[in-house]
Amino acid sequence: MTKSFFIDTTRCTACRGCQLACKEWFELPANKTKQLGTHQNPPDLNAYNYKLVRFSEHMIDGKVEWYFFPDQCRHCVFPPCQGAADTVIEGAVIQDEATGAVIFTEKSAKFSKEDFQYVREACPYDIPRRDEKTGRMVKCIMCLDRVQAGMLPACVKVCPTGTMNFGDREDMLALAEKRLEQVKKTNPNASLANPDDVNVIYLLGDTPERYHTHSVAQASPVDRKQMFASVRKSIAKTVNGAEQS
Amino acid sequence: MTNHWIDIKNADAILIIGSNAAEHHPISFKWVLRAKDKGAVVMHVDPKFSRTSARSDFHVPLRSGTDIAFMGGMINFALENQRYFKEYVVNYTNASLIVDKGFGFKDGLFTGYDPKTRSYNKKTWSFELDANGVPKRDTSLKNPRCVFNLMKKHYSRYTLDKVSSVTGVTKDNLMRVYENFTATGRPDKAGTIMYALGWTQHTVGVQNIRSAGILQLLLGNIGVAGGGINALRGEPNVQGSTDHTLLYHIVPGYMAQPMADWQTYEDYITSNTPVSKDPQSANWWQHKPKYFASLLKAWYGDYATKENGFCYELLPKIEKGADHSYMFLFDRMYKNQITGGFIIGLNPMNSVPNSNKIRKALDNLDWLVTMDLHHSETSDNWHRPGVDPKTVKTEVFHFPSAHRVEKDGTVTNSGRWLVWHNKAIDPQGEARSFGNLYVPLMNRLQGMYRKEGGTLSDAVTRLNWVENYDPEEWTRRINGFFTRDTKVGDKVFKKGQLVPSFVALKDDGSTSSLNWLYAGSYTEDEGNKSKRRDMSQTPMQAKIGLYPGVAWCWPVNRRILYNRASVDMNGKPYNPEKAVIEWDGKKWQGDVPDGGWPPMATGKGRYPFIMSKNGFGQLFGPGRADGPFSEHYEPVETPIASHPFSKQLHSPVYKFVTSDMDVLAKPADPRFPVVLTTYSLTEHWCGGGETRNVPNLLEAEPQLYVEMSPELAKEKGIENGDGVIIESARGRVEAIAMVTVRIRPFLVEGKTVHLVGMPFCFGWTTPGTGDSTNRLTPSVGDPNTTIPEYKACCVNVRKADTLTEIAR
Amino acid sequence: MNCSRRGFLKLTGAGVACLSLGQLGFDLREAKAYAMALKIEGAKEIITICPFCSVSCNMIAHVRDGELISTEGDPDFPVNEGALCAKGAALTSMSKNHHRLLKPKYRAPYSDTWEEKDWDWMLDRLARRIKSTRDREIILKNQKGQTVNRLESVFHLGTSHADNEECALIHQAMRSLGVVHMDHQARI
Repeated sequence: MTKSFFIDTTRCTACRGCQLACKEWFELPANKTKQLGTHQNPPDLNAYNYKLVRFSEHMIDGKVEWYFFPDQCRHCVFPPCQGAADTVIEGAVIQDEATGAVIFTEKSAKFSKEDFQYVREACPYDIPRRDEKTGRMVKCIMCLDRVQAGMLPACVKVCPTGTMNFGDREDMLALAEKRLEQVKKTNPNASLANPDDVNVIYLLGDTPERYHTHSVAQASPVDRKQMFASVRKSIAKTVNGAEQS
Repeated sequence: MTNHWIDIKNADAILIIGSNAAEHHPISFKWVLRAKDKGAVVMHVDPKFSRTSARSDFHVPLRSGTDIAFMGGMINFALENQRYFKEYVVNYTNASLIVDKGFGFKDGLFTGYDPKTRSYNKKTWSFELDANGVPKRDTSLKNPRCVFNLMKKHYSRYTLDKVSSVTGVTKDNLMRVYENFTATGRPDKAGTIMYALGWTQHTVGVQNIRSAGILQLLLGNIGVAGGGINALRGEPNVQGSTDHTLLYHIVPGYMAQPMADWQTYEDYITSNTPVSKDPQSANWWQHKPKYFASLLKAWYGDYATKENGFCYELLPKIEKGADHSYMFLFDRMYKNQITGGFIIGLNPMNSVPNSNKIRKALDNLDWLVTMDLHHSETSDNWHRPGVDPKTVKTEVFHFPSAHRVEKDGTVTNSGRWLVWHNKAIDPQGEARSFGNLYVPLMNRLQGMYRKEGGTLSDAVTRLNWVENYDPEEWTRRINGFFTRDTKVGDKVFKKGQLVPSFVALKDDGSTSSLNWLYAGSYTEDEGNKSKRRDMSQTPMQAKIGLYPGVAWCWPVNRRILYNRASVDMNGKPYNPEKAVIEWDGKKWQGDVPDGGWPPMATGKGRYPFIMSKNGFGQLFGPGRADGPFSEHYEPVETPIASHPFSKQLHSPVYKFVTSDMDVLAKPADPRFPVVLTTYSLTEHWCGGGETRNVPNLLEAEPQLYVEMSPELAKEKGIENGDGVIIESARGRVEAIAMVTVRIRPFLVEGKTVHLVGMPFCFGWTTPGTGDSTNRLTPSVGDPNTTIPEYKACCVNVRKADTLTEIAR
Repeated sequence: MNCSRRGFLKLTGAGVACLSLGQLGFDLREAKAYAMALKIEGAKEIITICPFCSVSCNMIAHVRDGELISTEGDPDFPVNEGALCAKGAALTSMSKNHHRLLKPKYRAPYSDTWEEKDWDWMLDRLARRIKSTRDREIILKNQKGQTVNRLESVFHLGTSHADNEECALIHQAMRSLGVVHMDHQARI
């Protein structure tokens, strides 16, 4: 039985306990950031932020809505990043069979920048980032060290509201379905984001695009690749800015 | 808090007003959401849509500084529509008491106002007494001068139209809150009010909370599970530091600071011990002499005897009406009347209003002691931007302090739980705990006074002090000891043994206690109760999430205050599903009751509000400086020149200081048309001195911002992310514009009023992040507490050409 | 480490006291399995309390050889049940911090620098300062001739960061000196 996260965004208060707990557990250095007119900071995932709470605000029919999306690797059931990486160096991306955790290994340091971009483009959720100092690809590792020791992932342990949940995939799917049913009563647009494909199952209280561009996988791999080609330039600019400024 | 954190889950309605609970007390939302899961309605009333609003059922934007109008409207709604819990109101509140004939209210002023002294003579704010000296009651509530009818008349002026017009809240939104919250005015429902600094930091702060007190008493929501008035409280140990009193006006345990007019111990006792002639009133403060004598005994040990008034004569005595709080201290400092002092674990150069003046005032000190984890705007004030250190005379002693994880001791949380923290590691570098500054310092002073003598040396040399700081020794001193062999009931205690509870304290010198409220927290039988971790519960306790064996709670481990109001006259819980206590025929089950007397119907009971002289919940509250009922007044700086409730624009008794730097904008000043409110945020702590220096937190919230509506931004030609200048009559601050739909313009008295909001956690010692927002706020304060009005002042905003305080 | 009280086990099934890698289903011989070391393995667990808002979330500090390795919420404290917010989650880097003040510092009048001093030097000098100010400036009688014993010219501000024990002793010490200008975060 593999493990899954269930992330109930309808309970999230964006306290960012998860974002900070992740940084602390992995002892990741801080980026030098700036206030850019939003509470979302750093602006995007980067080599030092495997977890990022995204903020998006809307005025919908005269009513203010503020959505929070604790973004992280989805630990796909069949990870496209692994497929892409295998064509370059086998073993750079592996999937831990016991947990289903998708891991970027030391071998990813051998990737060229182009190789890395290729793998990043393969990800339907735009998760992989490159640590420019070591050359390694980095992202959430499902706190495999903690999970193997019988502990909860740091971001789940810290969560005050029941947004972050972790356990056997079957249990998480059941919990997700149950919560969806409850939330649907007040939020007819609610949905689970690609529950069959991922081990990090999000419950969204409104249409996915109101949370984040990549809250759900939007398109087929081919279309996605084309789309990323244009989007990537701007993202890369922001990310590099965040990391190095 | 009257209740505690876990108890929030028992509420059927949650009104979060004057607080941004999800951001400033994030764990509270664990319990708010548990209540919501069970069907509770969660409402957030606040100027800005925040992370709290995002998880509430709905958010109601309210113009900052108009909470009393909002609450007055709800009190009126409850009274007009019989939404109140009548049995509770009649039996447990002072609704039926008859008020003095001379009492009245006219055009914004209560009787007894003296404009010369800007204060009230409260003679008529009193109750008629019968021949025995007991307050007269009319339990039919028909007497036109009973509290209920005076209150009804007072709040009848708070009509939907007027309230909507002054608060900027639509009538629909008003009704939505009023309907939902007053639905808890039934025996089987409970509503809680969660407030914090959003309510206290106004010139009418205390009356904001009084409004909640009145409403909650009307709805029968005090003393019950899921009810209460819950001050979330700001700081890490602000409950404990208030109980143990780092304040000028009281001594530990909420007893008055000695005053010049009380020259002797006897004077103090006579003037401060309330007397009730009503046999049904417990009048708990009648025991004050025991608590005060035990405190002095703890301070002066063997030197303190009944004969010498327990060394009372050595204590400092303040003048009647004198104010020694921050605002007046810094004004005196500015006027060169202060020589030196201590500022520990605090950053007033960032967090006290009108910081331009405050920073200048500090330059006038001869010497200053600071103790903190880091350098701060306070420790380093002498070389702040624009100041030549060679012109600043102050000698500064800056001590490194230990972090909480580096020391042992107790703190008290908002739910009054006393909890122990262990020293996990040694302090970094040469850092020490605060105790390890004051203990050796006082040892030196005692030594010097013993050897050299000096002015009033006995006050120092006779102090019951220690050689070395051992935290647990002080936990025991706080609990208190027997100073001689004593028999309590049939149990004999030896000299030096710990007192079992405050019931054992005496006024004859046989006991000592640094704080009567904490007596019973550390006993001979059970040891240090702050360390307890016994999760066991009775089924009754489990139902409402009561953990009597986890830590300890003052007073006497009572988790829900005034819990005798949760049962009827026969001791039966009004809400059996969420019973707090219940009389089983012989004794009380559940929580520790507010006194062990049997139920009222037995004739041997006592009224449940045992801390008030008459035993009733105070709908009519004569103790406050600004009125027995709450009344709407505008903030001292206001965007409007008049309001619909009276001609009295501002509180007639608010406090202020005067100097060349204490400038105020006049009402509806066209130079400053925008309301500013200030706040904290999850990622930083208050003045920011600690969290700005934690890189991972600074990464998440790196620079000073100002939140504003798209409408205001458009009017001012400001884009999201632009650098802007915010100006008030006192100062100028740079910030980054955060243009957001979460801030809405208000329609107030027919005109559009814009509001902006800013945090105050950034300062110049963290370069490029911005500097004190409090350069904008005024030195005006509540007449009861002198808490400054941080939450509402007037400013203007414009786009900045260049920024010097914020790195781009 | 006793992990029987960690919430995770509720999800993996009752009755398991402490899981080994094998029990969790990991097979280290399998090429695709990825084994990792746990940084708090063998560290001592000590209960502490978050130093921010007044919820008093209990925390567990993991300490090895006197060094703070990690901190996280204490799952057995019924108020926070192991949870924390962003500030609480950052406790470790708050204690182990590049910016901490590590030594007493002294700034002489009109000087433009800090000087490092030892505690005894600082305390001796400060005690002398306090005594001379007090002896000179304490007001023993007011204008009415009443005894007042007020040292109005010396103040004490702070702090709600102090423990109860520290607050109690600071109040006692300050009143003995005659201090009346006393205030802290309860008012701001």
